[in-house]
Order: sequence, then C-alpha cells, then structure tokens
Amino acid sequence: MILLYNGSFEGFLSLVYEVYYEKIQVSSIVKKMPESLLFERFHEIFTDEVKSRKVLDAITKHFTKEQQHTIFNIFLCDSREYEMALLEYIRIGFKNPKELRNITNPSLFYIQNLEKELLCFVHKMYGFTRFEELEDGTLYAKIETKFNIIPFLGDHFCKRLGKIPFIVHDVKRALAFVKNDKLREIRSIAAFDTPTFSSEEETFKALWKSFFKAAAVESRYNPKLQQSWVPLMYRTYMSEFQE
Amino acid sequence: MKLTTEDKLSLLAGSAKYDVSCSSSGSENNYKTGELGCAHTSGICHSFTSDGRCVSLLKVLLTNVCIYDCAYCINRVSNDTPRTAFTPRELADLTINFYKRNYIEGLFLSSGIIKNEDHTMSLLLQTLRILRHEYRFNGYIHVKLIPGASKELIEEATLLAHRVSSNIELPSSKSLALLAPDKTKEKLLSPLKHARDITMQRNAKPISMSTQMIIGATSESDFEILKLSSALYDKALLKRVYYSAYIAVNNHKHLPVPELSKPPLLREHRLYQADWLLRFYGFSYNEILSENQNLDIQFDPKTFWALSNLHLFPIDVNHAPKEILVRIPGIGLRGTEKILQARRFKKLCFEDLVQLKISLKKARYFIIAGKDFHRSSSLYTEKIKLALIHQGSNIIQPTLFDTSIYTGEL
Repeated sequence: MILLYNGSFEGFLSLVYEVYYEKIQVSSIVKKMPESLLFERFHEIFTDEVKSRKVLDAITKHFTKEQQHTIFNIFLCDSREYEMALLEYIRIGFKNPKELRNITNPSLFYIQNLEKELLCFVHKMYGFTRFEELEDGTLYAKIETKFNIIPFLGDHFCKRLGKIPFIVHDVKRALAFVKNDKLREIRSIAAFDTPTFSSEEETFKALWKSFFKAAAVESRYNPKLQQSWVPLMYRTYMSEFQE
Repeated sequence: MKLTTEDKLSLLAGSAKYDVSCSSSGSENNYKTGELGCAHTSGICHSFTSDGRCVSLLKVLLTNVCIYDCAYCINRVSNDTPRTAFTPRELADLTINFYKRNYIEGLFLSSGIIKNEDHTMSLLLQTLRILRHEYRFNGYIHVKLIPGASKELIEEATLLAHRVSSNIELPSSKSLALLAPDKTKEKLLSPLKHARDITMQRNAKPISMSTQMIIGATSESDFEILKLSSALYDKALLKRVYYSAYIAVNNHKHLPVPELSKPPLLREHRLYQADWLLRFYGFSYNEILSENQNLDIQFDPKTFWALSNLHLFPIDVNHAPKEILVRIPGIGLRGTEKILQARRFKKLCFEDLVQLKISLKKARYFIIAGKDFHRSSSLYTEKIKLALIHQGSNIIQPTLFDTSIYTGEL
C-alpha cells in the first residue's frame, strides 16, 4: 500500500503508529499525491498528536540516545526519500536493537550513510558559512543548503560568537536561527528586506579577498582540486569566490 | 612609501604561504559562555585557494624583515623585496574581524627575524596577549617559536597558543650548513624540546607541536626523511611533520635553478602517504623503505609494501584482526571499520564488500572473502603489477589524492 503523509516529523510518527496497529504492508511512502494511481492501494495518514506522542515515547524508551539522534538527524535530510529506510530502522530497533548495527541490511546501511553525509555536510558548512556585519553590529549569514542544517549551525555559532547577536538565514526554506541577548530560536521568515551593512563591511571583505589571493602558491595552481573541495553549489555566498 | 593594510596583508600572507601547516585540529572544545571563539576538535577548513590547499587560519608573518640569509627563503636578507610589518594591534584587530565573519578558525603567526630573536618573539607574544587577554579570544592560535629566543618567552608562548612549531627546514645537518648558515639542527630543535618539557611539568600533557621539512632542495633519500620523522614521532615531540615540495624562489649555487625546476609534488604526496602509514596504520619506517631507498613513484607505499611481501597475502577479511586489515592495499581505516562492523552479522563475500562501498580495485588481488578470491592472476608480483597498471592505478589523479594532506586534518 502507498502511504501519504504531510512530511512533518509528527506526521511520520503517526504513520509509524498506523503501520504498527493496522498492520499495513507498505510499498512506498510519499509526501505528495501521485499524479496517477494504477493498481496500488492508497492510504492517507492524518497527523495525530496522541498517536505521534505515543510513538515518540516508545522511541525514547527503546532506543539509545545516539539512535534517537540518528532518527532526528535523518529527518533533517529533507531533500531525500528516506522514509522507507527510516521506517525499517524503527521497526528493527523495536524488534532487536542489536541488529541496528547490521550494515549488511541495505536500509540500515542507507541510514548510516545518509547520517554520515549529513554530518559531513554540516562540517563543511561550519567552515563555508559567511557572516556580514550589519549596521547595529548583528552578524548576518545567508545559506542555501541541500539539507536543513540550521539547528546545527545555530548551536555551533552560539558557542563561538560569544555575546555578538547573529542570524543564520536559510533562504530556500525561509527559516532563520536568531540569537541575541533576549532570544535564541528558529523562526520562519516570511519576508526579508535587504539589510544595511556596517560601514566597515566592504573593507574587511576586500581584505579577505586579497588575503585569499595572496595565500595561493602559483606553481601549485590546481583549480580542479579546489573545486573538488569547494563545489560550485557552496560558493553562492562566499565572497572570495565572487568577482 | 606608506603601504595600505591591504598591501601589507598581501605581502605578509604571500611570504607566509610556503609554510604548509594549516591544521586547526587536535584541540579540545574550549568554549566559554559569552566569550569569543572556540576551537573545534577536528579542525575546520574555511576555504580552499586556487592551488587546492585549505585555508583554516589567517596565516601571516608579523614582518618579512629578516636578518638571516637562508638560501631557499623568499625573505632572506640578500633578496631585494619590499619589506613591511604589522603592529601587534593591527594584526589582532584583523584576526578578530576575520574570525567574527567566519573567514578563519584562528591565527597562524610567524615572522622574519627583526633586530634579534628575542625582540621578534616578544612582538609575536604581544599580538597573542592582546587577543587572549583584551579580546578574550579563545579561537585557535598557532605560533612559531623563534629558534634562539629565551626560555621565558618560549614558556609564555606555550601558555598562550594551542600549537607551537619550529621548522627543522632540511632533513640533515649537512644540508642546513650548506643552505641555512645561521641555523643548526640543535638550534632548531631546542625550542621544541624546551616547550615539551615545560608543558609536561605543568599538566602532564605536552603542547601540540609540528614541524616542516623542505623536500627536493637537497639530496637526502626518502628513507632518511622518514627515519627522521619517525624518530620525532617516537619521542612524542611532534604531532605532525609537514613536507613541503621545494619551490624555487631564489638562485643559489647549491639549489635547483628556478627556471628549470618544478616542485616535486608527487614525491611530496608519496611522503605524506608514507607518513600516514607511520602514524595511523602501524607501519615502521624500515618496513616501508630500506636504507637509502626512495618511495616508488608508480605505486603508493602500501601497495608497494604489499607487492614486496606477497608471502603475507592473501588476507582473509572475515577473520584477520584490525591491524592486519589496515595493511591491505586499497582498504583504509574507514573500510576496515565497516568490515569489522559487518562481519559480526554475516560472512562477507566480494559482493558484500561492494555493497559496503569498499573498492576492490586494488584490494581484490590481496584478499579472500568467503569463497571469493581473485582467480585469474595468481600471487606473482609481476602479474599483479601488470594487472594494477592495466586498470590504471598507476595514473595519479589529483582528485583521488589522499585528501587530508591538503587540509591538514585527519
């Protein structure tokens, strides 16, 4: 049977509940109604707070902290179709937690790899995120990323920016991590005006660009290697790669 | 002529770029609420320059003025280049502003020798003091110990920095005498030894240190180089040795002619591979090479070692312990972990390994997996060599290089 759910975490937990209690044989899980349905049976999952709560409690009880993190992390990989594998992961975890380390099972191997890919990506973005200073001293960074990594970036920069207020703005998902002396939270951003930058901003951008140029050794010129490290998709907001 | 900050930065970053080290790894998470900066255990690369090397730290000289005349160095006193200097304050401000914008992980500070060794070291320390005490900056700082500076200054450096280093420059005393008349091996190593000893007294854990050797400017063999590195690692003196392919910037009677020489990048690459075998794969230098030998150009050091020790193969991936698995050509530390994890659940065959995304390109000639082993070429060196060459593993593709070399990270 094909299952349809709304793509939210609670929605997925409700799905898990129904699969268990209605003993559904799942053939695939989708977030959008397919254009044409041939012979497959189809069932829509409605997000239910009570059901999702129950499943979440069960997960907290049966899975180790690390495994719970894995489940949440996989959910941040929102550009992938991980639902079937994650359902399998949760099923196996309830049945026999030891089995979760069995990477000869394709679903479990997929989950392990996807989480690694996410964490790798997060690590790259720890380095490649660029802040610009606004008029009032707030640091403002724009990102466009394949996974939803705002929670990671928020925690990371809270640790290093001390008392300086900052915003990390995920442009495509219209989300922002906002931190100042009053709040620290993720919000959805409906509209955003181009901010005014501090008077020093251009100076430091220029200094950074000339440092970046001066640090390259000409006789080792190797743009291919450079691109394998910083693929073009990362470069949108990195000033050193802009003319 | 008065230089702008931008001119100075270009000049002093341009003079520091030949130093290979850029790693910001290996320090604990030292986060303090409300303070600026924090180091990251695995280090973070913030960008990559057009030569494919990572930018993690603001790597600059405080000044390119120098009283020494080392033949290979762009800043030697006898070169007619524009000279300039940052004030400690200027440099500290620059560091903070770059750090805030997440351009860098911290500062890598080195310097030419201005006036004398102690004066130079004091200027470096003054910069660090402003950063640590005034700005309460906890980000990563790597500072060069100036050989010949007094013990008190060295001690203060170990208190202020995450990592200190002193370059031994050339792999033997003979070459040093020839090319760097102001430096001796003892003089270069003594600040490192001193830094180790005083930090050991303080908290039983020596400060993280590294060094760098120039490769290809003088006639030492790879065997001598690896033997030296291995000795430095064994004495727990150093965390990393960096190898820097000699880039000809000067004319000198004992050096390769600039116009005719290219940096020996492949040799440098092989040395790093061998260095990894020393540090993470449990090899010793005399397993990798014999007296006066150089590393093979065609094959990576592990494959070369395996080809010369075929009596130890094939290895059964379902039973061999970890330290044997890591010795299989084409299987690295990650592959080994996956094998160890997976074989608890299942007897692995070739197909399982492929499923686990472990490349069998090289490994197939050296392993048994259940009923699978490579049947068509028996274990004769020449046959395996031919097979490996035939499938293109002798062609070096830069993108396939062991990536950590360029990032300085694990």
